[in-house]
Amino acid sequence: METSEIAMPAGPATEDGAAPSGIPYPSTNGRPVRVDPDLEFIRALRRSGGDSLKKCMQCGNCSAACPLSPHINPFPRKEMAWALWGMKDRLLTDPDVWLCHHCNDCSTNCPRQTRPGDVLGAVRQQCILHYAFPGFLAKWVSHPKYIPILLAIPAILLGLATRYREGIGQALGFSVPMGDSIVYSFAPMFPHWLLNSFFGLFSLLALMAAVIGVWRFARGLKQSRVWGENPEPVRGVFASLGSVLLKVVNHDRFTTCETDHSRSISHFFVFFGFIALTVVTLMVITGPFNPLIRGDFVYPFSLWSPWKLLANIGGLAVLSGVLLMIWERLYFGHLAGTSSYFDWLLVWSIFLVVASGFATEVLHLLRMAPHRHVAYFVHLVFVFGLLVYLPYSKFAHMLYRTTAMVLAERYGREAGKGAPS
Amino acid sequence: MKRSTVLTEKNRGTWATVFAGLILLPVVLSVLKPLWAAEPEVFLEDPDARWEACLRDAEYMRYRHMDLLKEARSDVIRSGLKGGITLAGCGDCHHNRDQFCDRCHEKASVSLDCWGCHYYLTESELQDLEEHDGGGE
Repeated sequence: METSEIAMPAGPATEDGAAPSGIPYPSTNGRPVRVDPDLEFIRALRRSGGDSLKKCMQCGNCSAACPLSPHINPFPRKEMAWALWGMKDRLLTDPDVWLCHHCNDCSTNCPRQTRPGDVLGAVRQQCILHYAFPGFLAKWVSHPKYIPILLAIPAILLGLATRYREGIGQALGFSVPMGDSIVYSFAPMFPHWLLNSFFGLFSLLALMAAVIGVWRFARGLKQSRVWGENPEPVRGVFASLGSVLLKVVNHDRFTTCETDHSRSISHFFVFFGFIALTVVTLMVITGPFNPLIRGDFVYPFSLWSPWKLLANIGGLAVLSGVLLMIWERLYFGHLAGTSSYFDWLLVWSIFLVVASGFATEVLHLLRMAPHRHVAYFVHLVFVFGLLVYLPYSKFAHMLYRTTAMVLAERYGREAGKGAPS
Repeated sequence: MKRSTVLTEKNRGTWATVFAGLILLPVVLSVLKPLWAAEPEVFLEDPDARWEACLRDAEYMRYRHMDLLKEARSDVIRSGLKGGITLAGCGDCHHNRDQFCDRCHEKASVSLDCWGCHYYLTESELQDLEEHDGGGE
């Protein structure tokens, strides 16, 4: 499990114990490293998509083929070596695993049909499992047998909150705001104060858990040796963050990929769709006092209200993107990569959230009660699953990948750059 | 491997700008809205002096009037129980349907199919009627 340096005289390559020039990695000053394989970690990788792992013969074609790999300490060859040897501690502190966008240029160029892209995907899952807090929730999210309990938590909590809404409302001093407009909304069954406080509370808890996980992860990344000896930051934190966010929005990395290029399109749609839905959600939550939405904040929203249009277009964007993802994974697995339970869970969660959302909207427009309330309840349970379990599911990639990319930007670890000087 | 040309390294910035622009459009529209639109109208018509004689309290009527009407419809057309609530009864206090029904429903994209059968005066019809009858009832 642990790799420890054995105190030995420097090897023949170096005379003064310094790292041989031109070979920045591994920086063990030419001394051998003792490897204690973590067999369980290897098994976990092979179970979650990295089953081709043991075919790797370390030729390095993958690192040469990867368009996202930096020239110095390139990936994924070294990650494949670490995975073969079960060097868990190096893989879990490795930022390169997260610079990979799983386009599988490495996998299609492997002479041994090993799939480094899928192995790195499996490592990312292990990474989330390792750093997420509390750990048991991450375990629940990674195993299908825990699905019933994961769904039961929001179903029971939200069910109870809805059932006793009047008592809770009176105790907390909330009431259904009557406003000055006639409405046909979900408010009598699911009052705004209830949904805002319910989802507000659990989103806050999830956010706090996510911050703990990402903080642990960032601390781990700093121990990585891919940065070289005593790395000096080349950019400020905020400059790096800005630059990374711009890259993320532009889909800079995805569009550089060759093999699974269509992933850039599906991700693009889901990404912008989610931003649109987030904007509308924030507008609706702040509706009663937000000057931007005043005058439009009447239920049901007119179908021509700019917010309703944005919500519907955003929902359609997510739906089409996620259907494209499902299609890619089902029929183009050799390009999109092996899909583990962890991958499918996120894709289907997003699909269920959007599909149940549109079902609710249609039933609402058809004025079908109580069907619309049932659909809305199901939708809310799925939304809870997507949002509150975010730090434990593959959805956490938005936090982990961004963190790794920001650090890489900060230490000048860029794609196709950083030739040894 | 043939690459899709929909989203490429060259046009990705344009696409991202277009999508971001679409998302920002409603925000911009809302900020600029006061330039061409007046303050939002007050929705409710002023409560009639006889509101106390309404079927239920104002709160119930705002949120659940549709349920009341649906039940009344079922009573009449399915169970043959006449003599309950009638739209004509609503019209006794809420004189015209532009003000009382249509304004809100239009705003909320709710189309009513009541007027295919039921007679409920619009404001102009009400005025015509008053001119012809000398305003007397």
